[in-house]
Amino acid sequence: MTPVHFSFSSAFILGLMGLAFHRTHLLSALLCLEGMMLSLFIALALWALQFESTGFSTAPMLLLAFSACEASTGLALLVATARTHGTDRLQNLNLLQC
Amino acid sequence: MTYFMFLLLMALVVGLVAVASNPTPYFAALGLVVAAGVGCGVLVGHGGSFLSLVLFLIYLGGMLVVFAYSAALAAEPYPEAWGSRSVLGYVLVYLLGVGLVAGFFWGGWYEGSWVVVDGLKEFSVLRGDVSGVAVMYSSGGGMLVICAWVLLLTLLVVLELTRGLSRGALRAV
Repeated sequence: MTPVHFSFSSAFILGLMGLAFHRTHLLSALLCLEGMMLSLFIALALWALQFESTGFSTAPMLLLAFSACEASTGLALLVATARTHGTDRLQNLNLLQC
Repeated sequence: MTYFMFLLLMALVVGLVAVASNPTPYFAALGLVVAAGVGCGVLVGHGGSFLSLVLFLIYLGGMLVVFAYSAALAAEPYPEAWGSRSVLGYVLVYLLGVGLVAGFFWGGWYEGSWVVVDGLKEFSVLRGDVSGVAVMYSSGGGMLVICAWVLLLTLLVVLELTRGLSRGALRAV
C-alpha cells in the first residue's frame, strides 16, 4: 500500500466515521459527505495519473458533477429545515416530529 | 519532492480529521477548505494540473463557498474549536488510529512511490490529464449530456425543495 493509497483511504474512512458517529448538526454530516467525495475525487484522479491511463481522467470530472448535485440537494434540505424548525440540530428534528 | 508529497498527504489526512472530529460547522468547513487545497497540491505533484485546476475552481471556489455561507444557518452561541474538551478527545483518537494503521504499513513506503504522469515520455505537447479530459467531449459525449440533464434536474429539485408558501415539495416550509 503506497502512501498515496493509504492517505486517501484513511481520508475516506475518517469522513465515514465522522458521518456515522457525530450527528449534532445536519451541516456537519453534509461536510463529512463532502470530505468523502473529495477523497473519492483524489482517488480517481490519482489512479488515472499514476497508471498513465489518461482516458480515465474524465471519470473524476463526472464524479465532481454528481457530487455538486448531492451537495446542492443537501443544502436545499438544510435551508428547508432551518425554515421549518429554526435550527439544523438533528436532535431537534427528532423532538419536533410532525 | 517525495518528502514534500508525504507532507501534503499527511496534511490531507489531518484536514479530514479536523472535519470528522465534530467541531462547530464553520470550523469544520475551514478544515475541509484546507483538505481541498492540499488535495489540489497533491494532484499537481502527480502531474494532473488540469484536474487540480478543476478541483480548485469548482470544488473549492464553488461548492465550499456555499458551504461556508450555509454555516450561518448553523450558528452556535458557544462555538467549539478543536481545542475544546470533547472535540480534542475525538481529534486525538482519530490521529492515534491513523498513526497506528500508518505504522503498520510504514515498512513498505519508500521514496520511489511518487509517480508523475508523462514522467517517462521524452516529449509531450499536452499534459496527460488535459488530453484525457478532452475525451469527455468526443467519445464521452453521451455521458456529458447525461451529466447536463442531471444538473438541470437537480436545479429543479432544489427549487421545489425551497419554494415555500406551502406549494413546494415540502408542505411544511
